[in-house]
Amino acid sequence: MKSGIAVSIKNVVKDFHLPHEKEDSLKLKVLNHFKKNTRIGHDTYHALRGINIDIKKGEFIGILGRNGAGKSTLLKIIAEIYQPTSGSISVHGKLVPFIELGVGFNPNLSGRDNVYLNGAMLGFSRKEVDEMYDSIVEFAELKQFMDQKLKNYSSGMQVRLAFSMAIRADGDILLLDEVLAVGDSAFKKKCYDYFDYLKEKKKTIIFVTHSMAQVEKYCTRAVLIEKGKVTIDGNPSEVTSAYNNLFES
Amino acid sequence: MWKKLHNKYRYSLILLRELVRFDFKIKYQDSILGYIWSVMKPLFMFTILYVVFIKILHVGEGIKHWPVALLAGIVLWQFFLDVTNGTIKSIVNNGGLLRKIKFPRYIIVVANTISAFITLAINSIVILLFAIFNQVEPSWGIILVIPLVIELFVVALGVALFLSAVYVRFRDIQYIWDVISQALFYGSAIIFPISLLAHFTNHWLVSVALANPIAQIVQDVRHLAISHDVPSLWTVGNGNPWLYLPPIAICIVIFFFGAWYFKSRSPYFAEDV
Repeated sequence: MKSGIAVSIKNVVKDFHLPHEKEDSLKLKVLNHFKKNTRIGHDTYHALRGINIDIKKGEFIGILGRNGAGKSTLLKIIAEIYQPTSGSISVHGKLVPFIELGVGFNPNLSGRDNVYLNGAMLGFSRKEVDEMYDSIVEFAELKQFMDQKLKNYSSGMQVRLAFSMAIRADGDILLLDEVLAVGDSAFKKKCYDYFDYLKEKKKTIIFVTHSMAQVEKYCTRAVLIEKGKVTIDGNPSEVTSAYNNLFES
Repeated sequence: MWKKLHNKYRYSLILLRELVRFDFKIKYQDSILGYIWSVMKPLFMFTILYVVFIKILHVGEGIKHWPVALLAGIVLWQFFLDVTNGTIKSIVNNGGLLRKIKFPRYIIVVANTISAFITLAINSIVILLFAIFNQVEPSWGIILVIPLVIELFVVALGVALFLSAVYVRFRDIQYIWDVISQALFYGSAIIFPISLLAHFTNHWLVSVALANPIAQIVQDVRHLAISHDVPSLWTVGNGNPWLYLPPIAICIVIFFFGAWYFKSRSPYFAEDV
């Protein structure tokens, strides 16, 4: 284990095979097999074409790029949700992914039940959730709503609950995918406080975003991804100006 | 070593517990009778079959406690069907979850199987009440029902793992499974005594039919716990223990094949669903 490195991404390639027509049924499979010449083709979509990034412990790294550049695919590969087509990822430390807030939230369960379910997803036993339950509810400011079903929550309320859960997850490396997209300014303030706290604690953060202001404020390093490749890897102000240039030319 | 194992599976166990708990809660919330429905379902089916097969067609006449044996067969079959039909779409239905977080994928299938098992346990109480009401004589053979239920659990889980993994890429499997499970239902002699088959053919063929683990389990449970008039693989084979090798081997092969296939496909579930 190399000391100082939290996540090492080596030559990661990810291809998606997209059939022109979804070939889910036996009939299509058989037909396509026999009609070799007129076979419905597959498009290979190269989402990532050889990504190399070494992320040091304690770095707050911003990942920038246009829509479809491959940022989220990269995040999912780091989180081991997708398998890389080739290349390798090594992670040193406990990784907590926030690809989306409120993973496993079920609209037909009460807020209380969802706290336990989401807690289990994050690796907390029932007893551990019991201990933190009151402070989660307090932080989310949802005390009088906890026995209502989640489907009756506003989207802001859901995010508040999800976020209050998420910040309980105690990892060394956190993957954040634009979790700050929603919420009023009071809630945003809480998120920023949490970012400050993470930075203070020297956690390793991998942060996918479109907000240049956030990158410049929090990140210690940034990378720009274009068409599945890292084009610039350096200090945040350098990378954000390169990102802005993308839209001017 | 125990601690190491515990740490490795700690997350899986936590997740499994909560998924089973909430699966039950969601299944029966908004319904007035709730859990009672899981008992009522096999009871209704039993009532229909009782009227048609026992009262009208006089199937199973001369077999002591046949109605209780019929109910037990239906309940065991219902468990197998709940597990397999209930799981086949489970990976696809949880696609959203799979794309957002890494967790052992088999948890989804195991959680469904355990939920069905809890229903089986509740239904067993109903069978017990029926047995008492019918004055079924208790015997020590009933202890052997425990390994038989474990055998059923293992084979059902194996089939469920295979089906749910195949369904991700190949949706036809649900229709294929519909047909196979129908054949299995009749082939396992759930609604008629297997002695009916013995009337038409020789004992050798009956033991071939009993190489099917479902048939073997159902008939063994009936023979051991309810009525010695129902033949089992043991009585058909005149107590030859080697005849148990095929059904148990089939059961183990199905389980390991299902688990292996599921494991080999599971890294790609997130992008395939």
